[in-house]
Amino acid sequence: MKKLFVLLFLVVSFAAKAQDTIVLQAVEVNADAIRRNQAETAMERKMDTALLKRLNTITMSQLLIQHSPVFIKTYGPGGVATASFRGTTASHTLVLWNGFQLNAPTLGQVDFSTIPVFMTEQVALKWGSGTSANSGGLGGVVNIENTQHFGEGLLLDLKQTYGSFNSFGSYITAGYSWANHLLRVKAYRFSSDNDFEYENIGVIPHQVMKQKNGEFVDYGLMPEYQWRHRNSLITIVSWNQWGDHNCPQIMPNVNSDTKEYTENGYSRNFVSYKTYWQTGKIEVKSAYFYEKQHYFLESYTDIGTPVTQINSKNDANIFHQIVDLNQDLYKSWKLNAKVQYDHEQVTSNNYNGLKDRDIMSFYAAVTGKLLKPLDLRLTLRNDWIDWESAGFFPTATLSYSCMYIKGLKFNAGYSHNFRSPSLNDLYWNPGGNPDLKPENGRTLDGNIMYSRSFGRFSVESTLGTYYSQVKDWIQWVPTTYRYWVPENVNTVIAYGAEVHLKLNCFVNDWNFSVSGNYVYSHTTDESGQQLIYIPLHHANAFAEVKWRTWNMTYTMEYTGERKTSMNANEFYGFQLNPYTLHHVSFGKRFGRFYADFKINNITDVDYMAVLWRPMPGRNYEIGLNYKF
Amino acid sequence: MKRKVLFLSFVIAMALVSCSKKNDTPQPAPQPATKGLFVLNEGTFTYANASLSFYDFEKNEAENNLFFRANNAPIGDVGQSLALIGDDLFIVVNNSKYIYKVDAKTIIYKAKIEGFTSPRYMLQVNNDKAYVSDLVSTGFWVLNLNNLSKSFVETGNTTEAMVKVGNEVFMSNWSNYYTGGVSSNRTIQVIDCVNDELVDEIEVAKEPSAMVVDKNNHIWVSCSGDYMPPCEPAIICIDAATHQVIKRFDLAEGSYPSGLAIDGAGENIFFMNGGYGTLNVYKMSVDATEIPETPFITTDSRVFYNLKVNPQNGDIYVTDAKNYVVNGDLLRYSSNGTLLGTYEMGLIPSYMLFN
Repeated sequence: MKKLFVLLFLVVSFAAKAQDTIVLQAVEVNADAIRRNQAETAMERKMDTALLKRLNTITMSQLLIQHSPVFIKTYGPGGVATASFRGTTASHTLVLWNGFQLNAPTLGQVDFSTIPVFMTEQVALKWGSGTSANSGGLGGVVNIENTQHFGEGLLLDLKQTYGSFNSFGSYITAGYSWANHLLRVKAYRFSSDNDFEYENIGVIPHQVMKQKNGEFVDYGLMPEYQWRHRNSLITIVSWNQWGDHNCPQIMPNVNSDTKEYTENGYSRNFVSYKTYWQTGKIEVKSAYFYEKQHYFLESYTDIGTPVTQINSKNDANIFHQIVDLNQDLYKSWKLNAKVQYDHEQVTSNNYNGLKDRDIMSFYAAVTGKLLKPLDLRLTLRNDWIDWESAGFFPTATLSYSCMYIKGLKFNAGYSHNFRSPSLNDLYWNPGGNPDLKPENGRTLDGNIMYSRSFGRFSVESTLGTYYSQVKDWIQWVPTTYRYWVPENVNTVIAYGAEVHLKLNCFVNDWNFSVSGNYVYSHTTDESGQQLIYIPLHHANAFAEVKWRTWNMTYTMEYTGERKTSMNANEFYGFQLNPYTLHHVSFGKRFGRFYADFKINNITDVDYMAVLWRPMPGRNYEIGLNYKF
Repeated sequence: MKRKVLFLSFVIAMALVSCSKKNDTPQPAPQPATKGLFVLNEGTFTYANASLSFYDFEKNEAENNLFFRANNAPIGDVGQSLALIGDDLFIVVNNSKYIYKVDAKTIIYKAKIEGFTSPRYMLQVNNDKAYVSDLVSTGFWVLNLNNLSKSFVETGNTTEAMVKVGNEVFMSNWSNYYTGGVSSNRTIQVIDCVNDELVDEIEVAKEPSAMVVDKNNHIWVSCSGDYMPPCEPAIICIDAATHQVIKRFDLAEGSYPSGLAIDGAGENIFFMNGGYGTLNVYKMSVDATEIPETPFITTDSRVFYNLKVNPQNGDIYVTDAKNYVVNGDLLRYSSNGTLLGTYEMGLIPSYMLFN
């Protein structure tokens, strides 16, 4: 089993054409793979790092919907994209960046369209008991990390893309990697007119038109510094990003004279000190995040006088402190203990003055072997919100390696977790409800995993099932005064299954790989109806062929039928029909240069991902990359 | 091996592609409307899922989604109100900022009038023109019914409900939210509808929303009173001839009167009042000197949303918005308050209009 992990790691590294130099970070990952208990990794999946590198000009929302079981609800290019993990909603998907929560304290959600894959090196998905270290991930956790390598010398990677709708992307990575120091800066800019042509079926008669007011631009800058001294490592990372997005109108409203845009920006900074010894390590890290959100909506009177309808401004300052200890105990038994303190403060013209919150969390996990093929992991967390205990949250995971069929494993887990109401839920004026209770979720998971390598051929597959119950689900409900108030109204039951398959094969100069995910997610509230915008079925598939310096990919995404109301029988006009999208790309390496050409939505499918929001038809992108 | 892999991926892809082939055959457009009640369902804000329903008196049944079925397109975002002028039905779509004109019998599209700021209600003034009130612009629109051109009359306040008595149109100034509190939200403005001129302003209570006219040509106004203290919910009665407030009934703080309606004879007004989940229907004689304390129809855990009385037989129609995310109901009561029938509508059924 251990050998397999090493082998898989080597395969991945080879595919990624990673540097041969032995570097600390790589050794650590490798060591982790060997030393980590099976029950610890049972409820997670790491995304292929080679794939991440190659797809680094797309956003996290595109990555997840095309290559993972996570479903993304997107308002279109440049629009908000939120994730539904295992049939839950956007606020139940926790996003961690190097261990720090990215979910905005205001809304409790993450807009995945604002996370470029370019800004990360590792993406992992965790679910069920895999989410135990933090509160909030009742559906799952998307774990995003930055990793650096020492001793690589000059780091220089330039990429320029140009695509349909006048879309420009520029990506620069520059830096120097000494034996014990590393300095790296990543910068990018992406802009698009986003004025694709579509058939407007929201007007009479239906009309082919171009999308208006959809222009957007994003900038990002991420300097990183790392210093290794003996067994210690200091890391400083600062992720800064700005976005200016116009908001296109829904189909029926295309001629209404309005100005609508969002301006978002953030600066996420952390310092981490990590030290290792023979039997363990400790990491102490501090972060300061500043986030700004501005949403503006203006319409015009008869004489053209602008009338501001919404001018919503939120400023958030967030402080995180984490101490994370890993220590080997006895034989195979290990301990992970974490103490975390977060302070969130938000100034918003939607609240009455400044609102803040303190969150303290104590966490411990013990892993080890019960029997030779049977691993156990037990965790317990105790959270304090504003110095009041939110209770104790345990999880348990068992992992069994089949002794008769090599590569076959069975996992089962139980987890209990909670999610605090967002500050909007508590303090929005009018409507915010300070008496809200946290949502309370219990999940049972079972997975069968089979992964094995037969010479040039390798297979990795998972069949996962889950059942979860979320009590005190927070929903905004109407009141007499015609404004809405959030209440703990519902119990939501989500169950389903996920199938993941990945095949890889090397033949001489050829490398073939195929992967896919199929997800069945049944999520209902007390009325027994499937929640809106959550498809019962969704799937994706990816195939890649590499030959010497050439490569070709095919990507497919399928989204099943979705409802936009809680009616048992949705009227056909308000139901979202299923759709399948196909994308292809071709690439070739010329020495230090790499050029690629992509065709997205090659069959020109006309579809809506959100009711009356148009989506682009067939579109193209070319890219040129130079890597030193 | 390679073949197997390719074959397998092909099979997976095809299996998934074939799942997506599902066609919805549009349902046929409904039969021409006869005697009955149009109900406009607001739909969810920003979802553009407003819809038009029709309750047929003779068949004693309701048809839904008439507009979509007739025109293969949605009404738009937030169906606000309806107006029947001759053979034409006008549908005011608030957040889409336009008015659709359709054939009242077939619901087939005739025209779209665009360029409003936030249109609310439409009132026919004479054969040639109609007024359209606006939640954001301070004044009202004059719509030429012959060529559908429009002009704007500035009155200083945003406008909401409208009633016509003689040659005067009374417009309530419900909201000053979008004017930053600068304009009045506690007045009724009187418009001379021959010259489209503001002639008077009557101070009532905070947030006058709906209005009806009784047999004495007195105008009854329900004032929602605001959701932020100090609240001032009230029912006010104005003499249309003198423009004077002649009666004022203050309601308990925390109540929110809405859905004001009147019977055919102009003798009794009906309105909804109460808190959340306790919004009951009250009936009150226009000669009464006190607000009734006992409800005429109790909510029974339903979410009453709007109210209308059939001028011919006195039947009372109440819409139930339920939880706002499932289709609501139309409830039909006899003139003595007995429930006669329940009919499924669209999302958030609100504005009602007799055909």
